[in-house]
Amino acid sequence: MNKAKNLAFSYSYILPSFILTVVLGIYPIAWAMRYMFYDYKGYGAEKFIGLDNFTRVLKDHEFWNSVVNTFVYAGGKLVLSIPLALILAVLLNQRIRGRNLLRAIIFMPTIISTAVMAVVFFTIFNSYNGILNQFLMKYKLIGSAVDWLGVDYSMLTVILVAVWGAVGNYMLLFLAGLQNIPEDVYESSALDGANKLQQFRYITIPMLGPVMQMIIMLAIINALKGYESIMVMTDGGPVGKTNVMFLYVYKLFFPTAGSGAATQIQEMGYGSAVAFVTAVIVGLITILYFYGSKRMSQYE
Amino acid sequence: MKKKLWTAALCVAIIGGISACGSKESSNPESGSSGAKTKITYWTGDRHDSEYIKELVDEYNQTNPDHIEVELVIKGDDFDQALDMSFQTSEAPDVIRVKENTIQTFYKKGFLAPIDEFMTDELKEKFPLMDNLNSFDGKRYSLPNYGTTMRLIYNKELFEKAGIASPPTTLDELVADAKKITEVGKGSGAYGFAQNFKSPASALGRSARVIAEVSGYGGFGYDFKTARYDFSPFKPIIEAFKQIKDDGSMLPGVESLDIDPLRAQFAEGKIGMYLSFSAEAGVYQSQFPAKIDWAAAPAPSIDGSFKGASGFLGGQWLAISSKTQEKEAAWKFMQYMYNDSTLKQYQEKGFGIAMVPSVSEAAATPSVKGIEGFLPNKYDGVWPVAPTVAVQGTKSDDAFFKYIVSGGDLDAITADLNQRYNSALDAAKASGEVKAEPMPDFDPAKLAGQYTK
Amino acid sequence: MKIASRAVMWVFLLLVAFLTLFPVLITILGSFKTNAELTAGATVMPTIWQFSNYAEAWKQANFSTYTVNSLFVAVTSTIGILFVSSMAAYVVNRMEFPGKKAYVGMQAFTMFVAIGAVVLRPQFELMIKLHLHNTLWGVVLILISAHASAFFILQSFMTGIPKELDEAARIDGCSRGRTFWTIVLPLLTPGLGVCALFAFRGAWNEYLLPFVFTLSKPELQTLTVGLANLKYGVSAASQTHYMMAGACLSILPILVVYLFANKSFMKMTAGSLKG
Repeated sequence: MNKAKNLAFSYSYILPSFILTVVLGIYPIAWAMRYMFYDYKGYGAEKFIGLDNFTRVLKDHEFWNSVVNTFVYAGGKLVLSIPLALILAVLLNQRIRGRNLLRAIIFMPTIISTAVMAVVFFTIFNSYNGILNQFLMKYKLIGSAVDWLGVDYSMLTVILVAVWGAVGNYMLLFLAGLQNIPEDVYESSALDGANKLQQFRYITIPMLGPVMQMIIMLAIINALKGYESIMVMTDGGPVGKTNVMFLYVYKLFFPTAGSGAATQIQEMGYGSAVAFVTAVIVGLITILYFYGSKRMSQYE
Repeated sequence: MKKKLWTAALCVAIIGGISACGSKESSNPESGSSGAKTKITYWTGDRHDSEYIKELVDEYNQTNPDHIEVELVIKGDDFDQALDMSFQTSEAPDVIRVKENTIQTFYKKGFLAPIDEFMTDELKEKFPLMDNLNSFDGKRYSLPNYGTTMRLIYNKELFEKAGIASPPTTLDELVADAKKITEVGKGSGAYGFAQNFKSPASALGRSARVIAEVSGYGGFGYDFKTARYDFSPFKPIIEAFKQIKDDGSMLPGVESLDIDPLRAQFAEGKIGMYLSFSAEAGVYQSQFPAKIDWAAAPAPSIDGSFKGASGFLGGQWLAISSKTQEKEAAWKFMQYMYNDSTLKQYQEKGFGIAMVPSVSEAAATPSVKGIEGFLPNKYDGVWPVAPTVAVQGTKSDDAFFKYIVSGGDLDAITADLNQRYNSALDAAKASGEVKAEPMPDFDPAKLAGQYTK
Repeated sequence: MKIASRAVMWVFLLLVAFLTLFPVLITILGSFKTNAELTAGATVMPTIWQFSNYAEAWKQANFSTYTVNSLFVAVTSTIGILFVSSMAAYVVNRMEFPGKKAYVGMQAFTMFVAIGAVVLRPQFELMIKLHLHNTLWGVVLILISAHASAFFILQSFMTGIPKELDEAARIDGCSRGRTFWTIVLPLLTPGLGVCALFAFRGAWNEYLLPFVFTLSKPELQTLTVGLANLKYGVSAASQTHYMMAGACLSILPILVVYLFANKSFMKMTAGSLKG
């Protein structure tokens, strides 16, 4: 009796989410992804070709190059942004002067429209008259202009910009997570003579456990999926150095014919197949992470 | 406190809801009163002429005797995507702006309705028929209005400073001039040459393309004579660009340069020359007022001999949607838009270069500074359209750009491109998507000079 | 020692703040330049302050009309996401029921796939059947349907709220539902705050959805659609200066929401946990 009631309660609470996700999330994805078995260019015949698109994926150097780039990009972004966000959250969770202003400042980058970022970061990073080079050369930190958006450094630059744009998000999530840690835990440990570092290691980190596990999971997924800021800054270039896998998928679906360029073909079928493979990659990494980090969520 | 927040949020939501619902209702009444007005929509992705188009449409709505009311919708970069969506969702417009690199796709997607039934002999005489540009499989879908020419745009002051008498006509001169300009200009931060390689397709589509075309080769690597792809004619062009880059005569950072920052630097006098379209003249008049004296010259050819035609892009403007319920009205509107005085105005106001022979004879030179160099000369002409193929792997522009920045074996690169483009072409031919027959008598030199005054 | 570590902390914080703020400053300063000056990028400060950029952006992007639509979409979808995801998060966190794992897997799956606008067509066709195309409610529903990350965030925050609290409430005769709404939800304020902020920001910046749904109803367009139009002017070059001004104007509402969200990170819940 009670069990039936509990089930009814559970299902009724999950129902709105379930219906919305299935109807407006899963169904449209399935609708579009069926094209992965077709040769379809967005018009004309939809030709069933079985797994041909997948054999093409296996041989597609540009795609696998973009997968490698994605790992470099996501790895760099995570390694820099997560610790930074956590440290900032802990520092700005203290009662210190100006913490609200500092929080607001660090949040700011996350609300600037991606569309204008291209211009802003070109102003800063371009090798011809970029602000960064002029500054570095003025103080003799570099001898000649560095091409921050060129072949050698563009990946570093897009990672730095990604970190700039992401730290605010993760700091806020960590800050929200920190509110769940009762202050008296810190107080009593301080009485026991624990210093700030020890508190961080033995109270903050473990008690943040499940929240931290989730934040890192979201960060991994976002880092693997991120492409918008890269698209506006380098468009995957130069010579594919910053081409990440979701940008590659995007371009298969939405090729743009700039003025003077030849007519472009939309690779609806092949794009779906590549999108599927990328989803599998993201899913596998997430699941791996999830099992690897099980210990984090053990806190009760 | 929290309660207040929620109440405030709810209030905003309700107000928003009311206004959203209100506007939904307001559009309904018209459909009830039949016969009063015939409503059609016109969609364009053009922004440069938007003010003028608005004027024209307003005037038409007020003056036309057939009670046709045109709703004008102006879109941007997302025009193609929006149009796709509109056809998938039965909200398609009645009249559509088509371009030389969209009309084929729109035709294949079945967006366009033929207009042959309206074509009188007089109209046929007046508006040149261009295969694959305004007509497909023997049916006509659009009419030309204005077009775009491609030129070498150069900074006269820097040329003078470097002691260069006239703009380059060969690739060797292009390389040498870029070097000379850089030598005299570098002190003040000026460089000989620039290309917007943030998008290699856009950069080479306005430079290598036209150099190949004036030299007698298809601008996208397609050989019309043999109906095969052959990228080897691009080798000297790509080598020249690489040389300019290696000489240090290219503006630093071209790898990530977009067209607008390139234009801004040119307007500041930091770039000796570059290749681009006739739209540049308007840019230096309004958005980036040029601080220097500049001019446009015919693009150089590979070795100085002109065996082809400098691509004159265009041949189409408006088309009628295949889904329109009001084809007659749509055509009436199209006729109004294609009247002589409007077409003349298009050139005179500097929106583009007239492509209708009777109009270009009558229209005055545009009022935009620097446009003279862009007007059709004996080298300009309309190329046939190369078949569109779904090539697998790296596109030609990306492969060439990679060679320009990081070197490699250009012969191997072109061989690989030829192989992949031709196998894509064979596949497209086999499936019937593309018809590509050899044209043994094709002579690119004959394309040139059809639009000279 | 203490002073030294405080000094290190402040140097670090100020450095981070400076590096973070610098591109923001460039954006704001850029919004006061002419297009040529901004695009050429040779200056940091505007040579002549172009206050008219803001007037032009306001006018050309139809700010006064479109802001109302944007607020409607952002506020309703934020509220919807909070309701839908917190309810689901609660039962997933607290209850056992068949199909739970499948549900969580499904939510995760929606996050792994990113095919962008390709899903718009089936979504739009669904909305035609519901007669919600050409309204902003269609946009709102689709935005609410994408609540996977809010679900995961809230779920993890729930783990931090002791189950004993629920049980105590149950013993006092509270129904499950009442326990959720009156005991658990208030303790979830920080998580709800940050989810609300992210949901609001996401909806506010959403471009393609409102763009597609308002194709034939320009009066329903949102601000992002208007802002995208700022790019195009009378010539082939982008009107970057107006885009910058428009972007600066459009961040103000999110900042306001941020200020409210920030209040929820103020140690307001710590005490009640002792319950």
